[in-house]
Amino acid sequence: MTLPKEYGGHGRSALERYVVVEETLAAGAPVGYHWVADRQSGLMVARLGTEAQKKSIIPAITSGEACFAIGMSEPNSGSDLASVKSKAEKVADGWLLNGTKIWTSNAHNATHMIALFRTDFSPDAKHKGLSQFLIDMKTVRGITPRPIRDLTGRGHFNEVSFVDVLLPPDALLGREGDGWNQVTAELAYERSGPERYLSCFLLLSELIKVLDGKASPSALAKIGAELAWAATLRNMSLSVAGMLNEGKDPSLQASVVKDLGCHFEQRLPGLAQELVAMEPTLSDSGIDYQQVLGNLMLLAPSFSLRGGTLEILRGIIARGLGVR
Amino acid sequence: MNEAQTILEDSISRLFADSVDRELLARMEHEPWDAGLWEACVELGLPQVMVSESRDGMGGSWVEGFIVARACGRYAVPLPVVEQMLAGHLADHAGLAVPEGVAGLLPEIIPGSAIAGSTVSMTQRRVPWGRRADWFLGLGADGELLIIGKDGSRCEAETNLAREPRDQVVLQASPILARGASGLPAEAVRWLGALLRSAQIAGAAAACLEMSVKYTSDREQFGRKLSQFQAIQHHLAEIAGQMAAVDTMALEACVALDQRGLAATGRDARFELAAAKCRASEAVEPLTRLSHQVHGAIGFTYEYDLQFLTRRLWSWRAEFGAHGEWGEYLGSIAQREGGDGIWAYMTA
Ligand SMILES: Cc1cc2nc3c(=O)[nH]c(=O)nc-3n(C[C@H](O)[C@H](O)[C@H](O)COP(=O)(O)OP(=O)(O)OC[C@H]3O[C@@H](n4cnc5c(N)ncnc54)[C@H](O)[C@@H]3O)c2cc1C
Repeated sequence: MTLPKEYGGHGRSALERYVVVEETLAAGAPVGYHWVADRQSGLMVARLGTEAQKKSIIPAITSGEACFAIGMSEPNSGSDLASVKSKAEKVADGWLLNGTKIWTSNAHNATHMIALFRTDFSPDAKHKGLSQFLIDMKTVRGITPRPIRDLTGRGHFNEVSFVDVLLPPDALLGREGDGWNQVTAELAYERSGPERYLSCFLLLSELIKVLDGKASPSALAKIGAELAWAATLRNMSLSVAGMLNEGKDPSLQASVVKDLGCHFEQRLPGLAQELVAMEPTLSDSGIDYQQVLGNLMLLAPSFSLRGGTLEILRGIIARGLGVR
Repeated sequence: MNEAQTILEDSISRLFADSVDRELLARMEHEPWDAGLWEACVELGLPQVMVSESRDGMGGSWVEGFIVARACGRYAVPLPVVEQMLAGHLADHAGLAVPEGVAGLLPEIIPGSAIAGSTVSMTQRRVPWGRRADWFLGLGADGELLIIGKDGSRCEAETNLAREPRDQVVLQASPILARGASGLPAEAVRWLGALLRSAQIAGAAAACLEMSVKYTSDREQFGRKLSQFQAIQHHLAEIAGQMAAVDTMALEACVALDQRGLAATGRDARFELAAAKCRASEAVEPLTRLSHQVHGAIGFTYEYDLQFLTRRLWSWRAEFGAHGEWGEYLGSIAQREGGDGIWAYMTA
């Protein structure tokens, strides 16, 4: 939505995108395929890409054909992302990639990946030795995604191995050695969206439906308190979208919203169970409310992990507060 | 715990540690039965733990029952051991012999209107392992205990979040095989089921703590063990505290039940039972949230064992009533006894 018009985007503002995203999520619309591309990858290409990269990728994103994966985490580099070891070596005809990415959502469906690789191997190059690459997953050889089943039983994320993957010279995204700054900016897109609290709003509304006007005063008070949270988080997310709109860096603010948002999301299933005597169910039984509850309960642990764990976000907040 | 109880706990733990592993747990999600493990549980006498010695049981108290249930939670045992144990205890309590085979514990009260002569017709929801039951057991509205044959029944397979069978059982003129006054209130299955789930939650909580401590002591980030980060230490401390609180209250409820019984009048063990399930169900949220948190993404995978515990915890929190229901019960007692009376009531 916010992608430039000359490449087929709508050239809308971050705030306008926010409004649409909010409505699609509140309605529980299926958005998985183009989600990452629309939220972050497309913006990265638009901001940092070469003219040729923009021309070839952005139209595929706006037409909904491109599905992006985020290649950051590795088996031994989770929170400590700057310690990634997967290598990209400069060779005569481009870049030679070797290594393993893990937890890569959707990599088994993705047409593209923006991935973080080490391009400087000297021991003191930790943050400075990283670069991002724009990878066409369908044409390049040597990339093998292996789906990992998550606790819902579905294969949603992957281990992705790179064995002597040869990329053309123009696969570099942005500047060589600038990968850490680029990734940090990308994470701000990832952390700021309304999905933080909206993925659970459906549960709140289903809960109000099943209570059907018969809630006790104390139950009403509890639901009211969560609604107040939802409204607060919405306003906070909106202000982050506003900062993005003005080209400001909202990393700190986004971390605060994500931290508060994931507590809200993880608390709601417990509250729902406190108020309504109905079990959470899988899709084999139960009414809508029970299925929404069951589904959310299984996903809840991931809310405070993906896109940076709670502890790491708190570290960012602490740094913002000047205490570390 | 006395010596006999320690021996009981050790032998159960040994059985489950040797036989319940990831492979079994994963397989049981799709074919939820394992004849070998069930036989081993029967051989160890687990279903008979709270059946009197005169009926070839172990004659154990609720503390022994707690030990069995906690171990079942600790190892995520994917069989209806605790349900079978409760069914046996209830039958015994009503002075009836416990039939052979797998019991289907009916969670809902059987109303008088469902009983016609010597048959029962009604639908019972969320019956644990209903599909495997050889006979059913439930309580009537006046506390009469009914043992019901399978004839005329049918079963629709449903599951909880851990894919443990929670089936819908439709009884249609199914024969009453035996009946007798239980001396318990009609809601006893819910009360005692809640207690067993509390003990299972205590066991699963202990396993979550153990895994979390071990994982964060092995895994390194930023060149240090995760367990060396203060934030992680706080999480581990909170998990440990929650676990200990659940364990304490569940055991206390068992002791109270042995002493005061479940009568539905007077100062029986209902206060402690409600407090145990309220505490346990509420603790599921921080326990699962923090255990997953310190594990990072690996804990969110199917391949890693944590999820066998957490998906059970999420289900057990609701089964036989979540913290809201039991909290409301406790609140109503507080209201009745009043500010001046509640301390005396609680400590009576
Ligand atoms: C559903 C899901 C989807 C994901 N999708 C993607 C994806 O598409 N692409 C991608 O690249 N990654 C993805 N991830 C990975 C995610 O970004 C990582 O899980 C996350 O960064 C944490 O890394 P880790 O799992 O290795 O945990 P670890 O870093 O090992 O952390 C384990 C625990 O230790 C804590 N910890 C670590 N360091 C410190 C410290 N210094 N101080 C205090 N506590 C600390 C963490 O906060 C956490 O609680 C996904 C994860 C999930 C669960």
